[in-house]
Amino acid sequence: MSLFSNRRPNRRLILAGALAAVALPVRAVAAPAGRRRFGVTLHPYYSYVANIVGDAAEVVPIIPAGFNPHAYEPRPEDIQRIGGLDAIVLNGIGHDDFAGRMIAASAKPALPVVEANADVPLLPAAGMAARAAGKVVNPHSFLSITNSVLQVATIARELGRLDPDNAAAYAANARAYSRRLRQLRADALAKLATAGTASLRVATIHGAYDYLLREFGLEVSAVVEPAHGIEPSPAQLAETIATMRKLDVQVIFSELNFPSAYVETIRRETGIRLYAFSHISHGDYAPDLFEREMARNLDTLVLAMAEAAP
Amino acid sequence: MHHQIVRRAGAERETLWVLLAAGVILASATLAVGLRAAPDAEAPLAAHLIDSRTGLTAAEQGLYADLKAAGEEIVALRTAAGRAPTPEELAAEALPPFAADPSAAARGGHTWTFAETGHEIAYAGVSAAPELAGSLVLRLDGHGADIWLKRAAEAPPAPPEDAALSAAGWKRIVSTFTAGVNR
Repeated sequence: MSLFSNRRPNRRLILAGALAAVALPVRAVAAPAGRRRFGVTLHPYYSYVANIVGDAAEVVPIIPAGFNPHAYEPRPEDIQRIGGLDAIVLNGIGHDDFAGRMIAASAKPALPVVEANADVPLLPAAGMAARAAGKVVNPHSFLSITNSVLQVATIARELGRLDPDNAAAYAANARAYSRRLRQLRADALAKLATAGTASLRVATIHGAYDYLLREFGLEVSAVVEPAHGIEPSPAQLAETIATMRKLDVQVIFSELNFPSAYVETIRRETGIRLYAFSHISHGDYAPDLFEREMARNLDTLVLAMAEAAP
Repeated sequence: MHHQIVRRAGAERETLWVLLAAGVILASATLAVGLRAAPDAEAPLAAHLIDSRTGLTAAEQGLYADLKAAGEEIVALRTAAGRAPTPEELAAEALPPFAADPSAAARGGHTWTFAETGHEIAYAGVSAAPELAGSLVLRLDGHGADIWLKRAAEAPPAPPEDAALSAAGWKRIVSTFTAGVNR
């Protein structure tokens, strides 16, 4: 009897705990009245949307930080998170193709989708991904100031349509953010004005930087990787090295966070200078992440152009 | 007396069935591929249009994106100030491609002028190096931006209307949105 009476509070505790466990996710998923929840898939889009909405809405990354978006496979807990969103902002041109299937499998298959790239003049995919006569596009439009500005304007307009009460604030925030982004590019170009060359023959390890290089009037002569993170075969590597020599490439841009042994082989064989860009898909989600990483990318580019000057 | 005919060892019948099955598979695959073929390439663009993805040089692609982004900012500045900003004012705001920076020099060194006719404003950039990037016109009429290109160091006709631009050999740049192929 005493044993039983001792157990009773425990049972109540367990029951209360179980109820709380069931109730908690529901409470976490339910949006507080008036404050919308907008989902994002990639780091740059977190920064864009966080700067556009400010405190007026919540930005929810559906993929936890630390996953490589190039190799991400949807998980049930991430799909569950979509059920609590009011809209989702997508890259939509190949970098988050998993999102469509996740939305379809979620509690909200008709979730409004903002196509951030709707107004961006897209470039054909680079390297081995270039096929189907330009039908496959380069999905890295976020690695560029101008195309980020275009995406920020589209996102602000579409979110304003979904949340009319805050539309004016979103538009104003987007303009202020775009001005800051443009300033990053202006600062980089100001450094270049004093020293450096404006023309450069460039190769990249990953075909992600065409949009960024277009802003400086540069074109990528060769892309090394067959696909992101996939090392070229010895034959492909030999061919790439021969191509680089033939094209007289001056600079190779590789990637931070994806160190590859063969990149050193290329550098040793060709003697070409090597610099590393950030793909902006690592670390914690943060409103200022895009500005920080992009400033670093622009500094890298300016350094490369300055050092290549005769 | 009991006679039994024993078929000689061989696989004629099996071979026949395998060949038949292969033939059926090939025929149905050919039929399926024939019926589900991807549509032919889209109709070629009209003579006065040019595609931003396939028709432009690297420098022109960069300038086109910059002009699209500038269009939104110019509309906002015009609404705030009650008049359209001049190219010099846009350069002072460090707004590409109007800002005179090393990037502008590397992409054709355009000289920008500005004309306002009624509600429509047009910014014309005459290229100093048409082999890198042609001359460009950005037209804003309150409904969006129109961007025209001609690969010559040439100013556009005044006023830069559709018919006049087309007649003078200018082409309007168009871009299409293509969703990810694995969506």
